Amino acid sequence: MSEGGPKPSSSVKLVLLGEAAVGKSSLVLRFVNDDFQENREPTIGAAFLTQKCSLPSRTIKFEIWDTAGQERFASLAPMYYRNAQSALVVYDLTKASSLAKAKHWVAELQRQASPGIVIALVGNKLDLTSQATGLEGTMGTLSLSSAGSTGTGGDADDDEDEDARQITTAEAQGYAQAEGLLFFETSAKSGHNVQEVFAAIANAIPETTLKTRAGPGSGRAGAGAASGDTFGGAGGVNLSAAGEAGKDGCAC
Amino acid sequence: MLSLSSLISKASSLIDPNILPPSLLNQVNGSSNDGQTPAVLFRSNFRLLDSENPLAVIPCELSLPTGEHYFGRLHLSESFLCFSSSAPSSTSGTSSSTSSSTGPSSCGFTLPLVAIRRVERLHSRSYLFALAVTTWHNDQKLTLQFNSLRSTCEKFCEALKKNLRSQMSEMKNLRMLVGSCYSEWLVTGGKLKDGMKEEPDAGLGMVWRYPGDPKKLRDKSKMRLWAEYLRENGRNITLIRQPTFHKLIRVGLPNRLRGEIWELTSGSLYKRLFNPTLYTDTLTEFSGRHSLSIDEIEKDLNRSLPEYPGFQSEEGIGRLRRVLSAYSWQNPDVGYCQAMNIVVAALLIYMSETQAFFLLSTLCDRLVPGYYSQTMYGTLLDQRVFESLVEKTMPILWEHLVKSDVQLSVVSLPWFLSLFINSMPLVFAFRVLDVFFLEGPKVLFQVGLAILRINGEELLDVTDDGAFISILKNYFLRLDESAHPRSDNEKLRAVTRFQELMVVAFREFSGITEQTIMDQRLKHKDSVLSSIESFAKRTTLRNLGPESKRLATNDLGYIYDRFYKVLYERQERLVAIEAEKERLSDKKVLSSARSISEKSMNEKGRLGLGPSSQLMDYDYFREFLAGIAKWAIADSPSQIYSSSSNSLDAQWGSSNGRKKSVNLSPWGDNAEPADHEFMQRLFRRWDSDYRSGLSLQDVVAGLAGIKGKRDIMESISYFFELYDDDGDGKVDREGILRISEALLFITRRGWETPPNIGEQNRGLEGRITDPFLNSVSGFIRRCFEYADPDSATGQETSTGMEGMDELVDLLDLASDDEDEDEDGEPKSPIKEKKPKDQATEEGEDSDGSNENGNNTKPSIMSANAALDPANPLHITLPTFRMIVLADEVLEYFFESGFAESISLSTEWPKTPGGRIVSSSSFAGFGGAAAGGVIPGAKGLRGVLDGIVNDGLRVAQEVRRRMDEAQKELERSAVPTKYKDDEEEETGDGKSIMEQDRDLLKGAEASVVDEAAKELAQVDVVSAQPGEGDADITALQSPTGLTVTSNLGDVLMSPTSPGPTRVEFDAGK
Repeated sequence: MSEGGPKPSSSVKLVLLGEAAVGKSSLVLRFVNDDFQENREPTIGAAFLTQKCSLPSRTIKFEIWDTAGQERFASLAPMYYRNAQSALVVYDLTKASSLAKAKHWVAELQRQASPGIVIALVGNKLDLTSQATGLEGTMGTLSLSSAGSTGTGGDADDDEDEDARQITTAEAQGYAQAEGLLFFETSAKSGHNVQEVFAAIANAIPETTLKTRAGPGSGRAGAGAASGDTFGGAGGVNLSAAGEAGKDGCAC
Repeated sequence: MLSLSSLISKASSLIDPNILPPSLLNQVNGSSNDGQTPAVLFRSNFRLLDSENPLAVIPCELSLPTGEHYFGRLHLSESFLCFSSSAPSSTSGTSSSTSSSTGPSSCGFTLPLVAIRRVERLHSRSYLFALAVTTWHNDQKLTLQFNSLRSTCEKFCEALKKNLRSQMSEMKNLRMLVGSCYSEWLVTGGKLKDGMKEEPDAGLGMVWRYPGDPKKLRDKSKMRLWAEYLRENGRNITLIRQPTFHKLIRVGLPNRLRGEIWELTSGSLYKRLFNPTLYTDTLTEFSGRHSLSIDEIEKDLNRSLPEYPGFQSEEGIGRLRRVLSAYSWQNPDVGYCQAMNIVVAALLIYMSETQAFFLLSTLCDRLVPGYYSQTMYGTLLDQRVFESLVEKTMPILWEHLVKSDVQLSVVSLPWFLSLFINSMPLVFAFRVLDVFFLEGPKVLFQVGLAILRINGEELLDVTDDGAFISILKNYFLRLDESAHPRSDNEKLRAVTRFQELMVVAFREFSGITEQTIMDQRLKHKDSVLSSIESFAKRTTLRNLGPESKRLATNDLGYIYDRFYKVLYERQERLVAIEAEKERLSDKKVLSSARSISEKSMNEKGRLGLGPSSQLMDYDYFREFLAGIAKWAIADSPSQIYSSSSNSLDAQWGSSNGRKKSVNLSPWGDNAEPADHEFMQRLFRRWDSDYRSGLSLQDVVAGLAGIKGKRDIMESISYFFELYDDDGDGKVDREGILRISEALLFITRRGWETPPNIGEQNRGLEGRITDPFLNSVSGFIRRCFEYADPDSATGQETSTGMEGMDELVDLLDLASDDEDEDEDGEPKSPIKEKKPKDQATEEGEDSDGSNENGNNTKPSIMSANAALDPANPLHITLPTFRMIVLADEVLEYFFESGFAESISLSTEWPKTPGGRIVSSSSFAGFGGAAAGGVIPGAKGLRGVLDGIVNDGLRVAQEVRRRMDEAQKELERSAVPTKYKDDEEEETGDGKSIMEQDRDLLKGAEASVVDEAAKELAQVDVVSAQPGEGDADITALQSPTGLTVTSNLGDVLMSPTSPGPTRVEFDAGK
């Protein structure tokens, strides 16, 4: 467990939404256990996990509700996003339809979930795109050594020619900006950007909505993130700060 | 020392079992509840197919070869002979046929008639009537001694004989089925019997091992016990359920028999018996086809019990794929739902593909109905039922959950949805399933309640979902541990947590019965469905696409409700009609009855239950329109009905003649919709995907096109495009006539005229008449005047002579908008010529509008010539626009009248476009317009007869409609005192001739008088609450109608009230 001194701690309810098989559960598994499984059973109803995330000023305990993605489970979702302070709306970079579904979820959350909910739009399966190589290089320090043996290094050679990406960064980012969402492209398989997503959310949660009041002077969250600004794309400006927070915080 | 009983008493101290309400403890028996007819209960009791009905029942004593005797009742259905013993007197609560034949202390059998080899009448004393039944497995002879009147016994035997004979043909199926049962193999000690080619398939476990340690499970000794039982009591289809049977199941089934016993106790075996090739046929039929379900299945194949080695192999994955796909094809309403993959994967460990296919079908239809449906209403419903049971049985825990805002279903939903398979370790989940298939869905509730009760104390300490979940997660992981590890009693120490769970579930919660669950489901069904429906509505409305933004939110809501109301009501109605027809035609279609789906009719007709079709065909569309637009209601039902009966008959097959009882009407109690060419055009236009059906999205987009906030130019273009069949920007003569027809059709029941239009008409043109009729006749006239001949190029376009100034003004007005709309449309001659027209109008005003060599004639004459079919002609959009804009009434119609003729939600009588029409003046005018049908009929007849030489068809059509409208009006106006027949008569002959002449001359003077009279009449008629103005009267109190109508007149023309009106008012 990371030891950050007696920092104020508060729990944050986070819900994951998105089309079936975009990798919601895998993102959570990567975040919570730093693990990846190729064939995970589909989530039935919802799964519940927790993970602490330590920020410079405080500790956030994420209570993560990982929901089932199939369309017909949508009517169950309100049960899970009830009272959620944050949401991860996930789509699959290699599947155009999944972004449309993500937009539906964003619209639903904005209308039906608690006001002020922090929403992050996450494009997963970056490892399947040709971008994986370059990014892996730049983000190398962030990807954890214990990542699955089928690392993106190996994939990169194969993926050079064939890019499975169907949704451009610009497209999703533009949408995220317009809606005021945090935005990331991740790979649960390689671990790329996963910790950053959660760290950014932790930073973006307004102090006032936290259950446990933080002590005085501890309110300085990561620059820019707290205001709900959108982050740059993968490897964008704010990432270094957020990544830092993720790195020292979420290892446990 | 902590004993089990002390634990229970401890738990009970937390939770008072006496709280169990009487309804839970005293089980209802035999009382058939809503939807639970005796036949339904009979079927569910004996796990029979939907096609089976209780034909005869007789009290009887069953004597088994093993020496046991049971008193009970013998039931006969079409293909089965069933017995259930009366419950021992101690549990007097349960009795008669509804006492579960699967109860632990009862005896029973469900014997397919085809499995009976012989029935002999036994020689006995004369007052006794007994039969000896030899079953398929020769070694078995049952004695049935009837306890009833001789005549009753004989009747029963007659029926039995008859049904036995009719079942002979199924013998082949029986042989196949028996050959595939593992029990045969077991009983014969592993020898191949006839029909058996190899060891029967007992699931993937035969190859990849069954979960759990067989030694620990004591599989061998269980197998021996079963072999003995099966030898004595029959097997598979001839099995007799004695109390031992239940005990053997409660201790856990042996691996290789598990699949077969599941199949037997759930009743899916009988589905398989009567549909031996359904599974393979389905696979063959749909091989290579794609669907959404298939895609979804593919996604999950690799993640279904992935830890079981069988599902890491192609063979296992292939089986799973085939079973799920076949089911999704067989029941497309359900298709595929996540969790089915896990359940089926679990089944496949113990049974063959075919067996799993039928068991899945039984699950979806009867055991967990609606769990996997599109809306998952069954899942949500059972969560509600579960919550209410927790509240009743464990009030303290329930209160705690409520206080801590922990939502129980976030924990329990996956238990139910995956039948505990992904909550408990597999070995234990299968033990639960053993009992579940035997005793039904109540088992899920009993086990769920027991889990909460056992963990009750710990759960009372936590206050958030997270901790709640982790307690239970831990509990499941330790199910194999001792429930009393620190007990001194060795026996007690040996009791595992799982055993404890079973005891608590089935002993403490024995009060939870099938009936409890049925009652509770019934109680909560409505509210659950309603919440699903409102959620679905919210989501759907939000995702209707950009077009929907043009409509107000409550309008969208209204359209949504209306759409599904029509869809479901009509579906239900049609099913009812179909059923009625089938009943009348008196032929039972066995094949359809044998369908594996058990879905009963009352399970349809609500959105929350999962939609069966989301598309409206043309007839649905008509019904839909009739609900939102007056003009879409048929004028004269019987007549329209017969005129459209061809298509109806085609659709419904020429049913039992034309004799239509009221509830056999395809429109139910609703007004019969009209069937007009205009409606067909609308339908085609809205049908964006050419599916011959409209989705909600199509309807919304379609209505947005008419009612959305658009300006008059868009509205005119919309109408024009409806008639521009080939999209070349031209509407030909036929189209022009059809447009006029449509205009009259839409307005025949009246529409909202703005108050100042009539006045302006008067002022500008010096005439008063029924505004719309006049306008349409003017429209036709002008269309032909300004039409372009098809072949000629570069011709001049003439504007008319009369109203020239007006036209030019309007063209000026229109030009701005035209520029905006122009893109994509063909270049219009009018537009190009417009500046020239304006510049040279004086010199050119009689220049020919045609190049036919008649260009010296007055334009009216050329318009007549233009009617000559030998001279094809067309109008373009700009021409159409110009003609519309030249007439204030038409202009108003396109600006708002058309849109308002369709009324959604609460918008009425709101007025658009800033024109203030107070409801009172509206009433006056709406009424006038509604009543205006009568003079309109006459006037229009004259117009059309005179002008449309080749338009007889239109004329007739219009006349027919007008006649109908008139008849209807007369009918509805029967009680009137005001009707001035004289005036109508005098007006009749004159108006035709004069209007004829007027029109041809282009003069309108005499029309004024005529129209004045008609208008006066109109107002009189409008004062009658007739059908045409039903909406108006709804808005106005009947007594105030005349007054407001007068007031309306005043409001409309504050400066110069028309002379006729004044006269009329005075006359009154």
